[in-house]
Amino acid sequence: MYATTYHRPKTIAEAVALYEGSEDASYLSGGHTLIPALKNRLAAPQHLIDVRAIPELSGIAVTADRVVIGAATRHAAVAACEDVKAAIPALCGLAGSIGDVQVRHMGTIGGSTANNDPAADYPSAVLSLDAVVHTDRRVLAADDFFQGLYTTALAPGEILVRIEFRIPEIAGYAKFRNPASRYSMAAAFVSRHRDGKVRVAITGAGNGGVFRWSEAEERLADDLTPAALDGLALDPSLMMGDMHAPADYRAHLVAVMSRRAVENLGRTYIL
Amino acid sequence: MSSLQNTASAGEVVHPLKQPKPAELSPEMKLVQEALFRHVGKPLPRKEDGRLITGKGRFSDDFSLPGQTYAAIVRSPYPHARINGIDKTEALESPGVLLVLTGEDILADNILPIPHNPVPSTNFDMKLRAKDGSHAFTGPHYLLPADKARHVGEAVAIVVAETAAQAADGAEKVMVDWEELPFVTDTAKAAEPGAPAVWDEVPGNVFIDTTFGDVEGTNAAFAAADHVVKAEFHIHRVTGVTMEPRASLGSYDPETKRYTLYAGSGGAVRQKNELSKVLGIEPKDLRVLSFDVGGNFGTRNRVYVEFGLVLWASRKLGRPVKFTATRSESFLTDYQGRDLVTKVELAIRKDGRFLAMRADNLSNVGGRAVSLSPLSKGSGLITGSYDIPYATLRARAVFSNTMCTQAYRSSGRPEVTFAIERMCELAADQLGFDKLELRRMNLVPPSAMPYVNAVGSVYDSGEYEKNMDRALELAEWSTFEARKAEAATRGKLLGRGFANYVESSIGTPKERAEIEIKDDGTVEVVIGTQPSGQGHETSFAQVVADMLQVPVEKVWIVIGDTDIVSVGGGSHSGRSMRHAGTVMAMASADLLAEGRRRSAELLGTTPGEIDFEGGVFRQRNTNHAVDIFELGRRTRASHGTLRVVRDNEMHTPVFPNGAAICEVEVDRETGHVQIVRYTSIDDVGRCINPLIVHGQTHGGIAQGVGQAMWELCAIDAESGQPLAGSLMDYGMPRSDTMPSFTCEIAEVFSPTNPLGIKAGGEGGTTPALATVVNAVVDALSEFGVTDIQMPVTPATVWRAMNTGRNAS
Ligand SMILES: Cc1cc2nc3c(=O)[nH]c(=O)nc-3n(C[C@H](O)[C@H](O)[C@H](O)COP(=O)(O)OP(=O)(O)OC[C@H]3O[C@@H](n4cnc5c(N)ncnc54)[C@H](O)[C@@H]3O)c2cc1C
Repeated sequence: MYATTYHRPKTIAEAVALYEGSEDASYLSGGHTLIPALKNRLAAPQHLIDVRAIPELSGIAVTADRVVIGAATRHAAVAACEDVKAAIPALCGLAGSIGDVQVRHMGTIGGSTANNDPAADYPSAVLSLDAVVHTDRRVLAADDFFQGLYTTALAPGEILVRIEFRIPEIAGYAKFRNPASRYSMAAAFVSRHRDGKVRVAITGAGNGGVFRWSEAEERLADDLTPAALDGLALDPSLMMGDMHAPADYRAHLVAVMSRRAVENLGRTYIL
Repeated sequence: MSSLQNTASAGEVVHPLKQPKPAELSPEMKLVQEALFRHVGKPLPRKEDGRLITGKGRFSDDFSLPGQTYAAIVRSPYPHARINGIDKTEALESPGVLLVLTGEDILADNILPIPHNPVPSTNFDMKLRAKDGSHAFTGPHYLLPADKARHVGEAVAIVVAETAAQAADGAEKVMVDWEELPFVTDTAKAAEPGAPAVWDEVPGNVFIDTTFGDVEGTNAAFAAADHVVKAEFHIHRVTGVTMEPRASLGSYDPETKRYTLYAGSGGAVRQKNELSKVLGIEPKDLRVLSFDVGGNFGTRNRVYVEFGLVLWASRKLGRPVKFTATRSESFLTDYQGRDLVTKVELAIRKDGRFLAMRADNLSNVGGRAVSLSPLSKGSGLITGSYDIPYATLRARAVFSNTMCTQAYRSSGRPEVTFAIERMCELAADQLGFDKLELRRMNLVPPSAMPYVNAVGSVYDSGEYEKNMDRALELAEWSTFEARKAEAATRGKLLGRGFANYVESSIGTPKERAEIEIKDDGTVEVVIGTQPSGQGHETSFAQVVADMLQVPVEKVWIVIGDTDIVSVGGGSHSGRSMRHAGTVMAMASADLLAEGRRRSAELLGTTPGEIDFEGGVFRQRNTNHAVDIFELGRRTRASHGTLRVVRDNEMHTPVFPNGAAICEVEVDRETGHVQIVRYTSIDDVGRCINPLIVHGQTHGGIAQGVGQAMWELCAIDAESGQPLAGSLMDYGMPRSDTMPSFTCEIAEVFSPTNPLGIKAGGEGGTTPALATVVNAVVDALSEFGVTDIQMPVTPATVWRAMNTGRNAS
């Protein structure tokens, strides 16, 4: 780790001012992605601006048709929230499947979403649940937010404040874990919304990060059963390949996990 | 015997088990035996746990000294590269940097290579030699090389600074002028003609090439056989993944000219002896302290370059120097394990009897030979638990541009067990025998013990078929089909695997115990083994407490300081309880004999009139008595401290054995494997503390299963770069991926030592690789799968199913 200066602002304005006042700053939330990168000397921001003391970034609120989660909310808090469980059980299950106990008590939904790791879980929920991302300066639709591996629509210095999920009619999450890291190696978040639209978001597999599998959505819109996906395949050339899962295997896993998500609507399925 | 010039045999020494029975035991020895045998076997909770879980452990990095500085290491980014020069200028100008040292400085200061002595040399170790029969070139291990780096991560410079961060900053500024060289990392490829040479001294990289066994007899048996089954296996490279990364703190005192090293290891005495040679000093001028060790598994038995570097740097700087590896550095440069390619042939008669075996074993030692234990230990056990009259083994070791390998939990034994147990499956499969019956008919029977196997190892004792029967019963083998049918309803393929095993425990033959009765009413035992979680503080205290008949809380085990512990073989090869237990028993007997003499004098009688019971010396048929602590106090002035020192050497190996059964569920669609049942039976000889032995078995199973299922030191073939540099890519067993184990201990006492101990630390690991793979192959049998490469990751299993699906 290189030397760095730690800040803990209490307001969004203060945080943005700190960011803009320094040449090389980085926001810090749960630190469970950023700190390991710093320790490995892969990143060297001179200023770390901790966003967790900013009141707007914390708290969970559930309304008739929305689940609103502050960016600095820890995975464990989402996993354990009874109101969220009643509204979108698959979202709680997803949060509860991230990493291990320690990770879930430090890592945050905002950090995970802002980071957009292609193997992270949350981006699939954000995309499938047609969420709206509120930042310190604007509102972004999920479809516009994720822009490729580790890339989002957030401008430099823009703070992710909260995420507003649409409560679906039903949703399911199926995740095949990487045998080493236990991040998703292929995972599918399937939601049927109250307007009848089905959104299938795939994470862990695509070589451009999280994506919507539109062919699957079309089939499931007519018939929300695992059988509706029979015979549907993805092009392996669009998948990531590594020592744990070559691209053809990932493509296969995506199809299997999508079926299993449909089999497990209202739940989370982890393998 | 064979006509080959370089044929060696381990059977040339007269084996103690083949010699006449030793003389009668002394009365004290009888007493301690009786005492021990009455009391051991209790599942006492571990004394050390309270201390360890409340943060009172003393691990290497917990030590700090006034004025301490910090070291960072500059490592090779290339698998093979010449060092054309190292420019320290910028690093030395970096804030806080105090010292930069390179391989040139090593040569200038006459710092010598680590005398690893890699070729195992007890009478019962297989004698490994170069092809021409000479002692092999094993590659000098300088603390920093001056010529070239031979693997990614090899240390080429040390930077010492006021803080750890400054040292790391400085290390980035050391400019090495690298010249990349052709490299080879793969085991089989390294031994192929034309492979890039790791050492100019050994152009073909193969530096050990020895053939064991009766070549002509084997050839004749093969010629006469009805069937020959052949296979090739790669028991891949893994690493130890200790919870505590290795660390060292070195300090030099210019006044006394003594060095002190705090460094957790598998035995401080070896560290002291070898590092004093590196520094060119007398062993007495180096004190090594090794207290709590956060995991070893073999990775810490040998000397690390950083241990020598901090001592040397401390002398140059006049201040203590600390080095603590990161987990990533540990992944890259902890001594690694396994990596054996074995080609096996089994000659079989039509009724299923095994007639002969040939094995060609190639061990990848990495950039230099640190230890040939894996090759050697496995060499003696290629025939496994089976009575195979003839066998020949060609044992080779090869250099490659990878991190060095070392003995890793159950060194060499899981590899050869994997080979023979996979061969049993393949033979049964190909020739239509029942897998279990084929094994059964070929097992070494108890009546043949002590049994000399075809490469000369003498199995001391064991009831192999009984182990097998018990394991099958515990695992409910006979009701498997019902479970399989149920699993099928959930889309799962249930498979079952079985493996017998026999392993050897040799280890450094010498051990010393010192026992002292202290005035404060405690017993202090000084011993030279080094636990890293095995619970010696409890089990050793238990042994001594039982023998001296005092409460176990009163016994304190002192380890890990070479100023106190002068002799000690360390902890490896499952030697600790057997060696330490035996020498502690002998020392206790000596102590009781001395106590008897002193108490007789005190009570005005003769030693023959003294009985010892409940920690009290009593004149027979009287109430004249004195307890052992009081005796110590009352005779101190006249006779000195009540204290004994006992040395013991035991050379005869023991052969723990057993069987393991695994049941796996394979997800038909994804290839995901879940172990649902795991059963083992382990003959550890006499069991001192079953709680601790079970703990060792559980850990051992997890480690073996880990290798079979997830663990792999993967290397990118194109670049030679290790791919599994962190836990993100190196898969480990976890509590939720392990079933609850059913383990039973079988106690067939070993005739080789007075306590009848074999060993209990490695048996969990030895059969695990084979039994897991056997189970997975069984589960995949409907796809025509007959073999699969470890680790059996989901991708590998899916690929195997697919290949099967496409073929049919
Ligand atoms: C051992 C381990 C296992 C893990 N397993 C999983 C897993 O299975 N699945 C999974 O999805 N994740 C996993 N993670 C990642 C974990 O969920 C992280 O916590 C998460 O990805 C990042 O969240 P954070 O709060 O820690 O963010 P940080 O590490 O603090 O920040 C991450 C990035 O986001 C930026 N950032 C943070 N907050 C904001 C904000 N409010 N506005 C703008 N930018 C912001 C930071 O500048 C940084 O670039 C694992 C992590 C570890 C260490």
